[in-house]
Amino acid sequence: MPELPTKRKKTSWKPNQISQYLLKSKFVLLGKEADRGLLFKIFIYLLLFDTAFIYLNPLFYMISSMVKSGPDILDPSVIWVPKSIFLGSLQEAWTTLNYPNAFMISLYLSTLAAVFQTVFCAVAGYAFARLHFPFKKFWMACLLLTFVVPPQVLILPMIVAANQMNLLNTFWPIILPTLFGHGLKGALFVIIYRQFFYTQPKELEEAAYMDGANVFKIFFRIMLPLARPAIIVVFLFSFVWSWNDFYYPSMYLLQTDAQPLSLSLSQLADYLKKKTELEGPSIFDNSIKMATSFLMIVPLILLYSFTQRWFVEGVERTGLVE
Amino acid sequence: MATDRVSPLRKRRWSAMTLRKLEGSIFIAPWILGFLIFMAFPLGFSIYMSFSNVRILASGIDVKPVGLQHYDYILFKNPVLLYNQLIPFLKQQLFIIPIIVIFALLIAILLNQKFYGRAFFRVIFFLPVIFSSGQIVREFIAQGKGELDGGGDPDTAGSFNSFIDMSSFVNSVFPPSWAGPIQTVLNSFVIILWYSGVQILIFLAGRQTISKSAYEAARIDGANPWEVFWKITLPGMTPFILLNTIYTIVDLFTFPTNPILSQMDTANIGRSSALAWIYFVIIFLFLGLFYVIFSRATRSQRALRG
Repeated sequence: MPELPTKRKKTSWKPNQISQYLLKSKFVLLGKEADRGLLFKIFIYLLLFDTAFIYLNPLFYMISSMVKSGPDILDPSVIWVPKSIFLGSLQEAWTTLNYPNAFMISLYLSTLAAVFQTVFCAVAGYAFARLHFPFKKFWMACLLLTFVVPPQVLILPMIVAANQMNLLNTFWPIILPTLFGHGLKGALFVIIYRQFFYTQPKELEEAAYMDGANVFKIFFRIMLPLARPAIIVVFLFSFVWSWNDFYYPSMYLLQTDAQPLSLSLSQLADYLKKKTELEGPSIFDNSIKMATSFLMIVPLILLYSFTQRWFVEGVERTGLVE
Repeated sequence: MATDRVSPLRKRRWSAMTLRKLEGSIFIAPWILGFLIFMAFPLGFSIYMSFSNVRILASGIDVKPVGLQHYDYILFKNPVLLYNQLIPFLKQQLFIIPIIVIFALLIAILLNQKFYGRAFFRVIFFLPVIFSSGQIVREFIAQGKGELDGGGDPDTAGSFNSFIDMSSFVNSVFPPSWAGPIQTVLNSFVIILWYSGVQILIFLAGRQTISKSAYEAARIDGANPWEVFWKITLPGMTPFILLNTIYTIVDLFTFPTNPILSQMDTANIGRSSALAWIYFVIIFLFLGLFYVIFSRATRSQRALRG
């Protein structure tokens, strides 16, 4: 039977212990590999915090200057935190923007555009990814062309055409393209959907074909529910971009009362300029501008905070990848 | 077909391929229709209008062909309209586009590391996508919020400007025609960073394509993170760098408030159409130039990949 090793007498070997501790701390700080150690993580945190602060700096400025009262604005020692919260700028912004009306219009436009684009760009994306139709390569080139062409090149004939058809001061010129999978940045959404459907396994469809489903059933019952990440991403992007867009409303809706928030915001500058001419500059001008901007983006921030979990996950799973 | 001879009453069946083509056509038909109505027609009509004088009358429009008059006017006779705005704008873009793409790349890689609060930071960095609308951005730039020190009072200690006097530095090093655009870029630096929201998303998605096994193999072989970045991450991201740069170019050039397009108006439709088309050709040239440079730079890499 092999002999049990005799227990070695524990020599208080200080250098060995010290070097062991040093080695352990080196591993903790620097990590067994360079990007697992504590130092590296601290470095990342610092970098991200700084960048995040620079990033959000304008936002903090917006909120803090919005609630500053008169004395606070003039007080040079008050930079970020006002001594008292003053809501007058917000109120004035509310009335100047005609907020309830403009808000509903923005909501209406953005929701319609987002819903239509989400559905119809998916149809086109699936067709580009999985289906066969004549001249497919040519139409793909057309898709890229749609992506690259700036809307300004197309806007003038569209205005002329809308004028001819008496649709100029309605919502139709903005909503109608989305019904066909075009619209504001529609090509990008078609591309996103195409990439997504491209990376789905073909076996699903083949199994469904073998079970006798036709292509419509396959699309609406299998592929579309599967595309939930892509749907979320496209819906969010479409909503946000339509909400913030002031180019199309400024071209089509300028002479009506039905003005979305983005348009009201751009007209606020003129309003303030006129007020300055009449009454002289006011220290509240800046606050009012900040308040109007804030009122415009608050719904978006709310929407984002509720959906951001799906949003971030969705991008990683849309397979914008080959 | 044999079946026809056997039973002339039986209907000829479509081949599977034709059936598939029919289904595909039904799916793509709305999009193609939309393309014809909303893209092809305006493109064609816009070209036609750029070669003519257009007036809007109560009864319709009045189009009088005048040939190359508008192009002549914009390109040669009245350089103020185009070149004064165009050249500084292009110079700015030369700086802005790499800044955005590189910044997005770095942030995407940072956000991919595993650490606590990663989700929180992702939320923060995607936030600007929500409010990068034209007016808000312009407002911030006007307030000086775009500068790196947050537009603080230059007298307050610790502000960026008091350490490095950026404007005099820029003015002394660069020739005057470049110093102006560079100064503008520095003034709106933070806002430029805001434009990188979508690009960060694309890079994050692209980072997922690089297979984990490549990283694990590198790890086992003892590569340090720097080498890993240059040899694995960066080559894997090249198609996304291309995609992002194209997207950034298109996005920035078509922003409605850029100086050239804001000169378009409905007063002189013919000239505005010509201006828009010239601008579009410029974008196309820019994109083509970039694509050529990109292909050259990654030629060896693509040959390796096969």
